[in-house]
Amino acid sequence: MDIAVVIKQTPDTEARIVPDSGNTKQIVSDGINFILNPYDEFALEEALTITESSGGEVICFAIGPESSEPAMRTALAMGAARGILITDPGAVDADIVTQGKILAAAIRTVNPGLVLCGREWIDVQEDALAAILGEFLDMPHVMNAARITLNGSQVTVNREVEGATFEITSPLPAVVSCQKGLNEPRYPTLIAIRKSKSKELKMMSSADLGLTSIVPASQIVALEAPPPRAQGKLVTGETDQLVAQSLRWLSDEAKLI
Amino acid sequence: MASIVIWAETRNGSIRKSTLECIGAARTLEPFQGCERVGVLIGDAACADELSRYGLTSIRVVTGEQLRRFSSEGYAGVLAEITREVKGDIVLLGATALGRDIAGRLAARLDGSLGTDIIAIHPDGDGLLIDRPVYSGKLTARVKLVRKPAVLTLRPNTFPAAEAASGQTPVTQADAVTMTIRATVTQALEAARGVLDVTEASIVVSGGRGVGGAEGFKILESLADTLGAAVGASRAAVDSGWITYSHQVGQTGKVVSPVLYIACGISGAIQHFAGMGSAKFIIAINKDPDAPIMKKADFAIVGDLFKVVPVLAEELRKLRTS
Ligand SMILES: Cc1cc2nc3c(=O)[nH]c(=O)nc-3n(C[C@H](O)[C@H](O)[C@H](O)COP(=O)(O)OP(=O)(O)OC[C@H]3O[C@@H](n4cnc5c(N)ncnc54)[C@H](O)[C@@H]3O)c2cc1C
Ligand SMILES: Nc1ncnc2c1ncn2[C@@H]1O[C@H](COP(=O)(O)O)[C@@H](O)[C@H]1O
Repeated sequence: MDIAVVIKQTPDTEARIVPDSGNTKQIVSDGINFILNPYDEFALEEALTITESSGGEVICFAIGPESSEPAMRTALAMGAARGILITDPGAVDADIVTQGKILAAAIRTVNPGLVLCGREWIDVQEDALAAILGEFLDMPHVMNAARITLNGSQVTVNREVEGATFEITSPLPAVVSCQKGLNEPRYPTLIAIRKSKSKELKMMSSADLGLTSIVPASQIVALEAPPPRAQGKLVTGETDQLVAQSLRWLSDEAKLI
Repeated sequence: MASIVIWAETRNGSIRKSTLECIGAARTLEPFQGCERVGVLIGDAACADELSRYGLTSIRVVTGEQLRRFSSEGYAGVLAEITREVKGDIVLLGATALGRDIAGRLAARLDGSLGTDIIAIHPDGDGLLIDRPVYSGKLTARVKLVRKPAVLTLRPNTFPAAEAASGQTPVTQADAVTMTIRATVTQALEAARGVLDVTEASIVVSGGRGVGGAEGFKILESLADTLGAAVGASRAAVDSGWITYSHQVGQTGKVVSPVLYIACGISGAIQHFAGMGSAKFIIAINKDPDAPIMKKADFAIVGDLFKVVPVLAEELRKLRTS
């Protein structure tokens, strides 16, 4: 069974993110360290573990500019067999519903038995991709997997739902998004990194997939830093004074007691 | 007249606060004035009476064997049907685990637009603009929803919950038609009774590396109990095995927007802030006056949490009983 894994290149979480003054729908990308979206590592690790024990290939899919190649190469170095990167600006700038439609069209060409992705992309922070892909691929989906067990033509997933744990069983093929705790992603070895350079990475456009006119469902019109939190009150002293001041603040300023 | 469809999520036999916030948004926000408000309760009619007190225009209850347990395919299917039938322009769901699970599929099925984890909604001609945090909350994106219907999930604790209204909303009940439901919940283990999840609590008492161990979290639990709060944690505390991952707040954990967040022994790394930066008030208790959290807290207590927290809990308990 081949497994499709959807990945993305995102800024490092430590990165300082500022809107581009010339184009307020974009961020300044100079000086940012880009990485493979951390949750996608869980999806890749899971896919690799499954195919190593039961056969099949891991094929990774992404939408992003050509500069996203390093993240694709990281996935190939981890062990994915090949990758497809969709690079046309229409796709790159599209909203997540539209991107889901484009990714579904690409994934359909390889007819996978399972589709995995990360819980969310840490840049746009929409934990919706698995559900969108599920609908467009006409497959069931399960989000935020903390455990994935395959048995024959079925997959069983455990996920946390606000304190409760759900066990969800679904026939294959299915789309599953992966959460922290699922596994410990591997580090690629130096040999694997060298080999990954010659693995197949196909650059495509939405038009190649038969999607000629992309009409976005939604559009970012502005990016702004939220107003900074003002420095509040800093209190020092003995415990009793600290507690007394806290109670006063809770009642007079916050009006919570 | 435009219609807004609202999914009524229930938990432990009552309507969730996140749903009341959706209704509140539909009733009070400027772009929604004059819209019909259609509440949709799926799977179990038991909460219909409770729901009918919150000023909806109408309530649909859809039940059936296939819908007794949560199913994103099934629930999205029901909501899609009703949205088409009432010509809904907007679907509102709480940005809860299950609301998010439905929303993406529903937006795709309706060939509409999607806005998740929304913190503000603005009018835009006859359309909508929404604000949502991106890049771990470092920026806010303003998004124009071009295609209708727009499926929106609202960040919990952000919009005012609907108050009970006078009069009761008419309820119609129907059995669902048979649907294709493939992924099914085969087991649901509820959390221990009384354990409030961090995402739904209006006060969160959170601990980090400074709490020192699982024992230290007992002190925080005692304060949380007094306040009716949930217990949260930093990744350092979770990775040390002092508390389970379901309590983790931050970029790789949960995003919370409580009225009050009390950070104990947490330095306030950017990834932690990503999960709690939109709290209305932040209290920090830290020995180090220069810890980053102290610059972002509304009330920063320089002190040892092992001394301050127990006394604070005790004084609050006294206030409560007096
Ligand atoms: C990709 C990525 C994702 C991440 N996701 C998350 C996430 O989701 N959530 C998260 O929290 N972190 C996350 N982190 C980790 C984050 O960077 C920090 O390492 C972490 O938040 C630190 O936890 P802490 O504040 O508890 O510990 P520390 O930074 O060690 O802070 C402990 C604090 O406790 C204070 N202290 C110690 N003893 C006492 C005492 N007795 N009384 C009062 N104060 C005391 C100290 O002064 C110090 O400020 C992530 C990191 C990365 C790279
Ligand atoms: N038992 C302790 N008493 C006081 N401070 C501590 C204690 N343990 C850790 N810290 C502080 O907590 C922070 C994290 O420490 P560490 O666990 O060594 O990474 C540092 O600022 C330490 O000074």
